[in-house]
Amino acid sequence: MVNQKSRWKTTLVIVGMLAPALIVALGIVIYPIINTVIKSFQDEATGAFTLANYTYLFTNKLSRAHIWYTIWVTFLTMILAIVISYLLALYLRFSESKAAKVISSLYLLPRFIPVLVAVYALKMIIGDSGLINRLSLLLPEGSPLYDFKPGLLYNAKGIIIANLWFNIPFATMIISAALSGISSSIVESARDVGAGKLRIFFKMILPLSISDVMIAATFVFMSNVSSFTTPYLIGANHPMMLGVYLRKQFSSRNYELAAAVSVLIFLFSSISAIVYIYTNLKEKEWEKD
Amino acid sequence: MSMRQAMKPAHIARSLGKKRAGGVLILLVFMLFFYGPLLYMLPLAFANKYEYPAIAPTQYGFQWWKYVLDQPNVVEAIVNSFLFAFASTILALIICIPAAYVLARFKFKGRKFIMLLFLIGNAFPKIGMYTSIGIIYYRIGLMGTFLGVLLIHMLGTMMQMIWLPAGAFRSVPRHQEEAARDAGAGPIRTFFHVTLPIAWPGIAVAAMYAFIGSLGESVGTLMVGLPKYRTMMTEMYGVILDFPATAGAVFALIIVIPNIVLLMLMRNYIGGGALAKGFKMS
Repeated sequence: MVNQKSRWKTTLVIVGMLAPALIVALGIVIYPIINTVIKSFQDEATGAFTLANYTYLFTNKLSRAHIWYTIWVTFLTMILAIVISYLLALYLRFSESKAAKVISSLYLLPRFIPVLVAVYALKMIIGDSGLINRLSLLLPEGSPLYDFKPGLLYNAKGIIIANLWFNIPFATMIISAALSGISSSIVESARDVGAGKLRIFFKMILPLSISDVMIAATFVFMSNVSSFTTPYLIGANHPMMLGVYLRKQFSSRNYELAAAVSVLIFLFSSISAIVYIYTNLKEKEWEKD
Repeated sequence: MSMRQAMKPAHIARSLGKKRAGGVLILLVFMLFFYGPLLYMLPLAFANKYEYPAIAPTQYGFQWWKYVLDQPNVVEAIVNSFLFAFASTILALIICIPAAYVLARFKFKGRKFIMLLFLIGNAFPKIGMYTSIGIIYYRIGLMGTFLGVLLIHMLGTMMQMIWLPAGAFRSVPRHQEEAARDAGAGPIRTFFHVTLPIAWPGIAVAAMYAFIGSLGESVGTLMVGLPKYRTMMTEMYGVILDFPATAGAVFALIIVIPNIVLLMLMRNYIGGGALAKGFKMS
């Protein structure tokens, strides 16, 4: 009897403490998502069920170009960001040089710089009349790099460079945390028995850090596939990232098509989220043994 | 080079030198890529004249500071930015901390599902979220209201405000809480005297990310707040697109200063550890 009473009390506490956050999340996350999903299957004029918004997305030449563009820019950014971050994190973890110490104390800053500010600052450097171009004008006239225009803005290169600027510090932070959990003594004893660097990496370091690498990759993927501000400010008009395309459809009041684009981006994000959940659960099983 | 190094065999000394050169090269690339753009803004912000093709300003002064601060909306935008940042962080703390505690400490049916629910908000494209929230706002009259903007700011921070503190609570040793309870402390007393002191760095970091996230929120405010609620960030869009470059540098500097101050205050507590732990579901 008493036990049942205290169990009731616990349930009440759980519900009471969860309720405010859940209600807000339902209101500003779940309800809008459901609303959008429904809208994406509706006809603009009649509100009747239709697949037309999706067929348009996948058959229209322009929107197909936007989809492919978004996929490859996102994948390229993710791969570059993860590879560079992993190398940087390894360097920071295993090098005892001064350079590594300096970088360790400085690499977090970009996470504290608002996207707009960073994009602006990058523009002043890599823009065609930015610092790089101005420096090239110091070269003797006629030399091959004189008046060099980087040509990085308003195309994929600029977007990828800006995204790397944001994502490398974040991914390095997550991966560094995983690497700091690997004790130096195991690595050293492996080295003592004659294991080479590559072997130590593939047999010890990679398996021990892979789940955190996947977490980092998931978040890099998610933030890039739906990015808006960076491609809006320094991307091209064609093809454009889906985030910019979505905003464009919204401003021209094509709400149903905009909803379908949202759902599409959501599906892309979900694929990466599934990978993330899978690695998370798998790790838990591994802990059980 | 020290004596010891000099006495080492030639090939070791050479490889040490190579390693050192490699380190310097990495540092150089790192500094140029990440800090070059930021540091270059400093002289530009204090330039009166910065004309093509000069590399640095040819005349320094506060001309553009005056210009920026004289803009009718700028001071209001700065005040609004901080107002929304404080309000949304405090509200998120009040709402999310209890939920984070429950998710960290109790095992119950649907717990993982709820954790995922908070993650979903991050998987759905923000811009799509803003548009669908905008449609709902029109319907219920929240468009261009304080509460409407506040909720948009919370949208960006809720997940971190749940997951990071949950990770922090999970790292509080359970037996310490139990010992306090055994000694006769009630659950609330135990929470404030045992749990919170151990978990607070994780909570503080989450609050800081929420604050900075709110200060940096631009698109959502642009879509549901204008024209009534302008923040520094919504003004920055116009500044980047329409103002002279030097005015942009001034504005960027004003925006960045609070973030740098927060980073300095919190630097001992920031690291991937808390973040990575928070993002684990088990």
